[in-house]
Amino acid sequence: MENQTRFDLNAAVENWRQELAAQPPLAPDNRRELETHLRDALAELKARGLNDEESFWLARRRVGQPQNLGEEFGKIDLAIAWRERLFWICLAFFLSSILANVTSGLAIAVSLAGARGPMTMNWVRQSLQLFLWLISSAIPLLLVVSLAKGRLTWLFLKLRPILENQQRLAIAATAGVFLSVVIRWLGTDLFYSRMNIHNNSAIVQMINPLVYQLIAGIVLVWLLPVRPSKIAQSS
Amino acid sequence: MLAKDLVAASSKPLVLSILAEGESYGYEILQKVRALSGGHIEWSDGMLYPVLHRLEREALIESEWKEAESGRERKYYFLSTKGKKSLAAERAQWLKVHNTLAKLWKIKPALT
Repeated sequence: MENQTRFDLNAAVENWRQELAAQPPLAPDNRRELETHLRDALAELKARGLNDEESFWLARRRVGQPQNLGEEFGKIDLAIAWRERLFWICLAFFLSSILANVTSGLAIAVSLAGARGPMTMNWVRQSLQLFLWLISSAIPLLLVVSLAKGRLTWLFLKLRPILENQQRLAIAATAGVFLSVVIRWLGTDLFYSRMNIHNNSAIVQMINPLVYQLIAGIVLVWLLPVRPSKIAQSS
Repeated sequence: MLAKDLVAASSKPLVLSILAEGESYGYEILQKVRALSGGHIEWSDGMLYPVLHRLEREALIESEWKEAESGRERKYYFLSTKGKKSLAAERAQWLKVHNTLAKLWKIKPALT
């Protein structure tokens, strides 16, 4: 048959894949699943004696128009999608606030190491803190956005044991909060003792972030049943 | 062909019952439904997946990518403990509807 030699099945499947990829509600995992379905249908139709082109168009019709698929997936998965988005937003917020604890503790320690009088100390400390604050907000944000988009698969695979289990996430989050708050407290305490301020305000100041971050951790754990694995399981 | 709302309502017990017999993947589930119903229940292929994903979100089923003996990877679904309980409840409800209708319809031929 003339058609059969002209028709490139791989190219047709590749085109179809790209059409699917243009539908935002279809996560990489959904697309991969639909592709296995298309290939199963193709194999069955070919076994029935249809040629590549006929099999492809029939299989494609069976799976459904990419646009319709996108709409259907979007409709039913809307609640999931929102919960998932919330989870990632919450995770980014949580990680940056934890990292901010660590960096502010470190900033004080570093600025104290090189400082002489209170004035220089303040200037160095404030600019360093601003810089570290930028880093501590930007890094988790970039990290979480890449994870949510299905990139950084290696990192995701490492985090997966934690992200798939509410209990483990709760333990990890609590440990993270306490550890980072301790670092922040040590820094602040050091600062106060250098400034010759002797009171308990360093500890009191830690209550606020501690409560704040523990609540964020609880929300994070509560949002988890969403199974973020779906997003990052790209092929 | 079944009415649209009936197709939608029966999709949950059908999927759960098929998975109660053992793990399966989308394509195979569709084939089973088609064969068991004698072609009367015809789901459009791509629409099964939102149903599966919804059941997974409700934690009634779980999924895992696995390699089939053909070497091809497929996403397998299997029933969770919660799913088994849900299937039992679903089954009781459908049987109630079925039994009621059966009683009514058995009366009918007697009247004619």
